Amino acid sequence: MAVKQKSSSLENLFHPTDAFLISDIFPTVWCPGCGIGTAVNSFFEACKEKDIDREDLYILSGAGCTGKISEFLSLSSESITDGHIIEKAVHINENDPDKKIVLFLNNADFLISGGEELKKARKKKLNVLIVYINNFIYALSRDKAVPMTPYMRKSTLGEFEIPYNIPYMAHSIGASFVARWTPIRAGWMKQSFVESFSVKGLSVIEIISPCLIYDANTGRILDPVERMAFYNDFSEIRFWVPIKDLDIRRQKKIIVGKFLDQDRIHDK
Amino acid sequence: MTNKGQKVKIFVLKDRCKGCGICVAVCQTEVLKLSDEKNKDGQRHPVVIDEEQCLNCGLCEMFCPDFAIWTTKEKEEVLG
Repeated sequence: MAVKQKSSSLENLFHPTDAFLISDIFPTVWCPGCGIGTAVNSFFEACKEKDIDREDLYILSGAGCTGKISEFLSLSSESITDGHIIEKAVHINENDPDKKIVLFLNNADFLISGGEELKKARKKKLNVLIVYINNFIYALSRDKAVPMTPYMRKSTLGEFEIPYNIPYMAHSIGASFVARWTPIRAGWMKQSFVESFSVKGLSVIEIISPCLIYDANTGRILDPVERMAFYNDFSEIRFWVPIKDLDIRRQKKIIVGKFLDQDRIHDK
Repeated sequence: MTNKGQKVKIFVLKDRCKGCGICVAVCQTEVLKLSDEKNKDGQRHPVVIDEEQCLNCGLCEMFCPDFAIWTTKEKEEVLG
């Protein structure tokens, strides 16, 4: 009897996204309610809407929690050490220009050790999509202040840092498409992914993702649903805001939306 | 709100679930709730209370970070 039930349930138990995933590895390594999973989910929703075949994709990711993305994908994907990701993307682009290259980057890959090689992306006029997952944390450490540590927050050693304006930085490395979302706007995020597939040149999408252990020592918002509600209440959607005004520390609420969509591949 | 006579089926892969409860919070018609029993990792997974209320909006499928829940629509057979 038990065998019968199992076989009848297995027929239907097939997630629509399972074509892109290695389903044996599940559950994933991330904390319950982490924003990275929602970002990956809506990325593949966008792939399904645009009918992109999994053989046309090449996904690169860096180190840390974000780097684990490539671990459970059943398509061409690699996890690469910081500072060599764009080099690899240039290499793939030269050999196979039809591949759609997608980079999932974290703080270290985009700002700290990978920051220098972003100049290459502008120089080579790369046609890639960068998904920058910004969770305000660096390798789960509380001892260091990092470029995205929030303003007026100090590490346990008393260091502080002034955070970057990511959309402005993306504009300065020559991005044609710039957007910023939180995982609570998953539908909008998917729409931005769909639009970025038809953009020529570099497109940067910043995702402000809730990291559940960030405030673990102070015991503040720890429930995943409460944390999602926090990002819902403290963000507002505004389109075409001037890019210089998007610094997070000058805002009472985080402004999310689409800020730039123009062909800048021929800019001088 | 009604689902206009559509037959919607909800599937949950309970061993993938980590019990974050986002699908329950996001659902507009309160179809889901967290179960009392636990899966193999000791997490409370969502169970379906009232499948007829489901609108097939797809929010739970889109928000789930672990690819554990999805809905399908079955069209009713038209007679004649």
